[in-house]
Amino acid sequence: MVISIKDGLKLIGISIVCCCAVFVCTFMLNYYMDVFPLRDRLTEQSMVFLYEAQIATAKFTSVITGGVLGLVAAGMLVFYIKIYVDSHSQQIGIIKALGYSRVQVALRFWVFGLSAFIGCALGFACGWAAMRFIYDGLTIEGIGEIPINFHAELLVGLVIAPSVLFTVIACLYAYVSVSRPVMWLLRGTGKNIKIKKNNKFKSRSFLAAMCFETLKNKKVLVFFVAFSCFCFAAMVQMGLSMENLTTATMGYMILAIGLILAVITMFMAITSLLRGNSKNISIMRAFGYSMKECALSVLGGFVPFAFIGFGVGTAYQYGLLQLMVNLVFADVAEVPEYHFNVPVFFITLASFIVCYAGVMAYYMLKINKISLKETMLEN
Amino acid sequence: MIKAENIVKTYNATDVLKGVSLNIKDGEFVVILGASGSGKSTLLNVLSGIEKADGGSIECNGVRLNELNDKELTAFRKKEVGFVFQQYYLLSHLNVEHNVKLGADLAGNTDYKEIIEALGLADKMKSMSTTLSGGEQQRVCIARALAKNPNVLFLDEPTGALDEKTGREILDYISKLHEEKRFTAVMVTHNSNIAEMAETVIKMNSGNIVEVSSNKVRKSAYEIGW
Repeated sequence: MVISIKDGLKLIGISIVCCCAVFVCTFMLNYYMDVFPLRDRLTEQSMVFLYEAQIATAKFTSVITGGVLGLVAAGMLVFYIKIYVDSHSQQIGIIKALGYSRVQVALRFWVFGLSAFIGCALGFACGWAAMRFIYDGLTIEGIGEIPINFHAELLVGLVIAPSVLFTVIACLYAYVSVSRPVMWLLRGTGKNIKIKKNNKFKSRSFLAAMCFETLKNKKVLVFFVAFSCFCFAAMVQMGLSMENLTTATMGYMILAIGLILAVITMFMAITSLLRGNSKNISIMRAFGYSMKECALSVLGGFVPFAFIGFGVGTAYQYGLLQLMVNLVFADVAEVPEYHFNVPVFFITLASFIVCYAGVMAYYMLKINKISLKETMLEN
Repeated sequence: MIKAENIVKTYNATDVLKGVSLNIKDGEFVVILGASGSGKSTLLNVLSGIEKADGGSIECNGVRLNELNDKELTAFRKKEVGFVFQQYYLLSHLNVEHNVKLGADLAGNTDYKEIIEALGLADKMKSMSTTLSGGEQQRVCIARALAKNPNVLFLDEPTGALDEKTGREILDYISKLHEEKRFTAVMVTHNSNIAEMAETVIKMNSGNIVEVSSNKVRKSAYEIGW
């Protein structure tokens, strides 16, 4: 069979995203479950407000982090499986032609759930390793030291259930993906291609057409590039702007998770993009297009979406912090006002431009190494 | 004119080209004939500047390829050569017109539609390349190569993936276009029948040229055996 456990372990991006999500959710939910029964210890009303704000923050952070990162990881999984099926369509076609059923082929995709299991297990372990440190930063006056208890339901909910869910998603999506007729799979045709007679852009140059069609055919990657920039903008600015709202440790943690997510997502998106276009790039290079022209035609179209992602991320973090201050901490005394942090915005924007340009330069060098010889050997 | 002297190319400690020397005149139609693994495709790649030779010298239209860096080789390919491949290598997400424009835009050729029409693809102009038959895809590949007005056209087994009828049609197109435009054509094939269409036949075996011969009478695509 074409799918091996090694293939499942290659999805390190999913493992890292799951690890980040489960890491945050583990200590936040554990904190919530340990603090929740201690309300009776509080005597002062002001402390009750702080207590309620703290547990609301824990719930809020878990839901947002777990939800968003979980969805991203699921999206990445589906995307990886699609790429895998497309790039192995001939082998899958042969297997189907030999008589294997769709269910038999799809069930082999369980290995892709391994990446989620590894990430979740690692995140859970890291969450536990950092637990005492986090609890100390989230102490509530009047409650005293908060005991750390193990909650088996968290192990089930954050490690076992997501792993099973991701395995099921992998098999179900694979079941749908391999439904193409055997001949299509053998020919390596992804779908029934519609013949479009669009004369609207008939004067478009080859490079412009290449750029436009790449974007049109890689909408999922457009999303991932924008999401990567969204993570960078939102979490870096949030991490650097909330020093008065939470502990410095939490701020750095948010910043680190944002950077990890942004790097992983961008790396996955652009690597997939180049892999999918390596044949096209090698033909362009053989015909005499320069490295810069190849890079612009494949990567150039993503730049506006990267900046849109950055803009949305900036607005999102501002909205989220406003929401926290005005709703979650509304009744807590001495909560500082939150205003948009202009210096942090400009620092983040400058860092973003430098990082994005660096990533593009790195991939331009990769484009330069794509040779027609390799493409020929693949065939 | 293409002049190669003592070309050596090695892959993973295996000598694929073992000191090959040849001369190809301007406007000549040359077939490089050899069995699989004889080094003919590697010779084509080296002569066209897709790959660098490990030793020896190659001069193509006055340019010494072995002295060029990657950037200069790219500029050389842009100006001088066109390619037709056995596997077509069309850009699957683009239509026929834009695939041909890949070559045309490099040469600033705005008359590329004439080439598409000449190759009988006028009604397929807006079709996606993946919806075409093998013969049609190969004609697009030829149109793409010719649209950049190359001085030298390199063809790597252009009929290798086609049936006899379509193969003969493609060879006929190539032959007629060569007669009309008089570019230099270097075609690699393992089919000795196709060699009868060429002016000069270079036979290769195990990385060496074993025979160079000329055809006094060139046969057409419909006269050769298959």
